[in-house]
Amino acid sequence: MIVESSDQVPRLKWPRRFPVPRDFGVAKNSRIIEGKSWPKPDGATRIATLRIYRYEPDNDGAPRLDTFAVDLDDCGPMLLDALIWIKSKIDPTLTFRRSCREGVCGSCAMTIDGTNWTACTRAMDELSTPATIYPLANLPVIKDLVSDQTHLFAQHALTEPWLKTETPAPEHERLQSVEQRQALDGYYECIMCFCCTSGCPSHWWNGDRFLGPAALLTAWRWLADSRDEGRGERLDALDDPFRLYRCHTILNCTRTCPRGLNPGKAIAEIKRMMLERGG
Amino acid sequence: MTEPRITPYSAARGLGAAGHAASHWWVQRVSAIALVPLILWLGWALAGGSATDHEALTLWLEAPINLILMILLLIAAFHHAALGLQAIAEDYIHSRARFAVIACIQLACVAGGATGIVATLLIALKA
Amino acid sequence: MKYPRPQSPNMQNYRPQLTSAMSFGHRLSGVALSLLAFGLAAWLVAGAAGPVAFDYAQAAMHSIAGRMILVLASWAVFYHLCNGIRHLIWDSVHAFELRNIYAGGWAVVVTSLVLTCALWAWVLI
Repeated sequence: MIVESSDQVPRLKWPRRFPVPRDFGVAKNSRIIEGKSWPKPDGATRIATLRIYRYEPDNDGAPRLDTFAVDLDDCGPMLLDALIWIKSKIDPTLTFRRSCREGVCGSCAMTIDGTNWTACTRAMDELSTPATIYPLANLPVIKDLVSDQTHLFAQHALTEPWLKTETPAPEHERLQSVEQRQALDGYYECIMCFCCTSGCPSHWWNGDRFLGPAALLTAWRWLADSRDEGRGERLDALDDPFRLYRCHTILNCTRTCPRGLNPGKAIAEIKRMMLERGG
Repeated sequence: MTEPRITPYSAARGLGAAGHAASHWWVQRVSAIALVPLILWLGWALAGGSATDHEALTLWLEAPINLILMILLLIAAFHHAALGLQAIAEDYIHSRARFAVIACIQLACVAGGATGIVATLLIALKA
Repeated sequence: MKYPRPQSPNMQNYRPQLTSAMSFGHRLSGVALSLLAFGLAAWLVAGAAGPVAFDYAQAAMHSIAGRMILVLASWAVFYHLCNGIRHLIWDSVHAFELRNIYAGGWAVVVTSLVLTCALWAWVLI
């Protein structure tokens, strides 16, 4: 019942999704239809069933859910291994992003069994039966499991994630004590996978104006940096009912971060710094 | 409602930062802190039977401390409600109708608060 | 048709968790409490209007439907109060570890139910 860290898979099997109709508020071109059921591999003893979101931009089809049976003895232990197995042995058109296969690059972030995580760090035995694999929530879909994160990166760029200084560069480094450097721990490790922003209900409703947990975590990383001299400008840019204050501390972000970071806490720190300035 | 923008960066930038949002957030928190003891007081008073009939109600509100606390409760509760409902309207309504809804919410809460305060004073002062 | 691109489902597919469920409960109870605030103002107006009007209001509150609404409303009060205190603790940048978020969340649910039962036990007994 008490979740100790974000890599814990939810134990309760129900409710799997919010009790609304499947197509509640969904645009016509985003409605998902039942797709192809691919044949089981021959001679497989341990099989996992995956229902994967598919969308081909090249033909006029609707997004669909294909059902695949994966031979667990023939592929590696993680979900990314299963996706690569499907792509190499069953359906070469399955499309997804991947790079490091160890949870440090953020490419393979997707919605797995209703929560956001990186496919390379989600073990096959942690999935439900059948497992549902969707692209990251609430983002435009380019193809299959590849989502369009342009807007999210634009919001990240808006926080001006670089050191702002007035004083000229010293001869060697801009010095920082051990404690000052520790203030950045838990914020600099963000891999920009956008699991948090994609899982934030406030960003679902107001994603065009609310910056979201990932961008705000970055904003806090620079606000907390003792070497930074642009704190006032940064807070000016955030002092907006939509950019920062759409956060109602729902905390889906902290629950879903694959790196175990705490965007909710970062946002609370920003609000406190905003108050210190004179709210 | 933001106009469509040309580049992703200008879309994210929108109309810029409005400012003054921190003070709304702070006032919401102050009214919340005020409401914690006030609601507990009201629950305890009503459950304890201070207002079972009109006689008891009048006696209860004639005491200055109860009168003051009731008025403070009404001010804090309607202010907190106005800010909270405004946040809900901003979250879910994205067209220009949002302004009309927020205006109605503010006016309704001021009216409700004023009505409650005047009614309380009438009960207490009209022996 | 490549554009506009389809959008991946959000609420239709995302798993409800304690975090989002309690936040939704906070919002729902807040809306209910706003209506209750107007109800309180109306009850005070009935009180100011004299004994006849006030007795009518009290009779409505003591009816079966009135009682049921009051029980639910008191649960909403206690839930919003306890979760509100949890929010105020977060605003002072405390208790943000997942363990504390979840422990606090369950504590709020249990406390609000216990307080509601205690209040109505006191009133009815």
